Amino acid sequence: MARLLEVKDLTVRFGVTTAVRNVSLHLDQGEVLGIVGESGSGKSVTCRAFMRLLPSSATATGEVMFDGQSISAMSAKDLRRIRGRDIGMIFQNPASHLDPLLRIGAQIAEPIRRHLATGQAAAHAQAVDLLRQVGIADPAQRAQAYPHEFSGGMKQRAMIATAIGCGPKLLIADEPTTALDVTVQARILDLLRQLNQNKGLSIVLISHDLGVIAQNCSRIIVMRQGEIVEQGPTREIIEAPKHPYTRLLLESQPSRNKASNPPASSGTTQPLLAVKDLTVTFPKRRDLVSRFTGKDAEPFRALDRVSLTVEAGETVGIVGESGSGKSTLARAIVRLVAPSAGEIVFDGKPASADGAFRRAVQMVFQNPYDSLNPRLKVKEAIAEPIRRHRLADGAEIARRVDDLADKVELPSALLERYPSQLSGGQCQRVGLARALAVEPRFLIADEITSALDVTTQAQILKLLDRLRRERGLTMLYVSHDLSVVSTFCQRVYVFKAGRIVEEGPAAKVMREPADAYTRELVRSIPRLDAIEA
Amino acid sequence: MSHLRSILNRLLQLIPVLIGISVISFLLLRLAPGDPVRLLVGDRASPETIAAVRQQYGLDLPLPLQFLRYVSNVLQGDLGLSLRFQRPVAELIGQFMGPTLFLAGYVVVLTVPPTLLLAVAAAKRPGGFIDQLIRFLGIMGLSIPVFWLGIMMARFFGAELGWFPVSGYGQTFTAHLHHLFLPAVSISIWLIPVLTQSLRQALIERSAADFITAARAQGASEREIFWRHMLPNAILPTFNLLGVMVALIIGSTVIVESVYAVPGLGRLLIAALMGRDYYVVQGLTLVFALVTVAITLIIDIISTFIDPRVEL
Repeated sequence: MARLLEVKDLTVRFGVTTAVRNVSLHLDQGEVLGIVGESGSGKSVTCRAFMRLLPSSATATGEVMFDGQSISAMSAKDLRRIRGRDIGMIFQNPASHLDPLLRIGAQIAEPIRRHLATGQAAAHAQAVDLLRQVGIADPAQRAQAYPHEFSGGMKQRAMIATAIGCGPKLLIADEPTTALDVTVQARILDLLRQLNQNKGLSIVLISHDLGVIAQNCSRIIVMRQGEIVEQGPTREIIEAPKHPYTRLLLESQPSRNKASNPPASSGTTQPLLAVKDLTVTFPKRRDLVSRFTGKDAEPFRALDRVSLTVEAGETVGIVGESGSGKSTLARAIVRLVAPSAGEIVFDGKPASADGAFRRAVQMVFQNPYDSLNPRLKVKEAIAEPIRRHRLADGAEIARRVDDLADKVELPSALLERYPSQLSGGQCQRVGLARALAVEPRFLIADEITSALDVTTQAQILKLLDRLRRERGLTMLYVSHDLSVVSTFCQRVYVFKAGRIVEEGPAAKVMREPADAYTRELVRSIPRLDAIEA
Repeated sequence: MSHLRSILNRLLQLIPVLIGISVISFLLLRLAPGDPVRLLVGDRASPETIAAVRQQYGLDLPLPLQFLRYVSNVLQGDLGLSLRFQRPVAELIGQFMGPTLFLAGYVVVLTVPPTLLLAVAAAKRPGGFIDQLIRFLGIMGLSIPVFWLGIMMARFFGAELGWFPVSGYGQTFTAHLHHLFLPAVSISIWLIPVLTQSLRQALIERSAADFITAARAQGASEREIFWRHMLPNAILPTFNLLGVMVALIIGSTVIVESVYAVPGLGRLLIAALMGRDYYVVQGLTLVFALVTVAITLIIDIISTFIDPRVEL
């Protein structure tokens, strides 16, 4: 097979920090190469360096050879000829990589007109055809739409159409499915596989998700802190990892995480939390025209008559994609949004906004940085709820803060820092310590690991597991990731479009899903076992 | 369809604004110190005359009725009679409006090209020498008082070099251009820095946008990236600012019009204020408010065509 891409000793520096160190790799024609690594591992910087797309503050050394030519030595003009024509690129967040002011069709046609000197009408016709190829229904009409009128998955399809418009030899896909729901991710990856098989398109696939990489690539490169720690055929890496970091990555996969075995429920008759026929509606934006014509938009039902129970000591998982209403449920329980119908009963009493209820039920949020006040030191942030609920004063507060930091395995040296000086995982530990500070009985974890690296996620899950055993915490674990939920929770509720479509013991839902949607969800999870078997 | 709907929606939103404007301009006269009737008839008029005039002007009616009458008059284009000129206020404003609108349009034409050039030059290398120089010149332009600059330019280019007339408005279009050049430049000199800084900031923000990287990855040249992706995405805030500024200029050309003796609304306003010509002041207040509303409306409607996500 002919060699398409050859990278030798690529080093990228931003000022004094080295982001990528001595990376050498190659890609053959028709191959799908996977680069896996956590945030900060330098994988995105590496693939941007292939096309010299780095910001001017970066200096790159080493050589990138593409199809017999040295990209490193190329003039800017020649480089522009290769970009978009011979090498296409798609990005993590399709929403921000499409120009919001231009119609989708025009954006897809742009590189075709530029590189192939095609006329406007012909390029547009080709754009429509490309949209059809990437699986957009009614492509002629959708080409007239603007990016904000497309869903996340459709935007990524449009990006792919833009990237393959000129028939490139290589597609660089930088975390192409990270911002998407798992079922959408499965479809996008399918599309990439088809392009590889039918058109012989070579692909470099970058992801933090080893499952995604393993399922789609013939060869894997594992990166850490700007360096390649291991590379080889997929099967070898998965079955016989040599480097300790690769082993850690593999062990951190939720499907491998057999350590946590949820404690059996207490068997009490009265549930700690009972939600009955809960409905939450958000009014559509009303404009004056609709007010005058009387044709008011139906309010959006974020939750539609949802009923569920959580026994004391139990861990219950809520699974669903974005927009399924799972976060709204969490927020409705802690009274951050007001339900329009239904009731929430906590410990036999209707939930209210009083101090006792607020203490008993605590919530940890998804974004570790946004949920902490950037101007409060960590120890002040943890002490805040203790002060607010007047649980202690004076030196006792400091003692409790130390104690809590210890419980969430946060080094005490970090207590003097500000949130911006912490890693995502450390911030999430602070968030947990804050929630635990008021000694709640019920903890709601809303996507608390979805912004974290997979190894950090495994650590946080282990911590949560320990906490629920030691403290007898009852937990509602909200996540889009069925594989995490199924290993961590006893029971699962699957949400779709504001309703519960399936419920049952976690292992059973995972093994034999009954609802069609749950089946698709289970099927969409990228797995390592498929390769292992 | 969606454009039409949002424009319609925007027009409906105007109703309360217009009601507010009419109430304020109506109350302006009632709340002004002194009795307008006294002004009209003079201090030595007999009580009978005062009562007669009061009745003639409808000032003996209850306030709500007076208001309704005022609104219905305004809707028919009747803004009252100037006490000083003894001519209808609407006619008076119409006559003085032309030069002011011409001046405002002239300012826009003189301001936009340099703003674009300077903002682009400054945003190319933020913090670089050119950026610093443009910022420095901008601060100079902003800090020189318009009246002083006006007088200086009138003396130098007008009196000394004789290139431009120092007063008046002229008769023909080219004469207007000639007469109003110095006044327009004096306004542009402080307007350009304001707009340049706004556009520069937006351009710098957009230059790091993801879709710029994507365009670069698709082989777009820097020129293409700038004109097709960067500028359209950066222009809106500055465009809105320009609208506000134009409305401001129309309402505050007083200084420039006085310095250059341009027969515009600014001078009419001064004359009316000095002469306690209440009906003219009231009419001008109403017109200034309406012009501001109209300009923001136009800016908003154009914005929906630049950015499809803008909802009115």
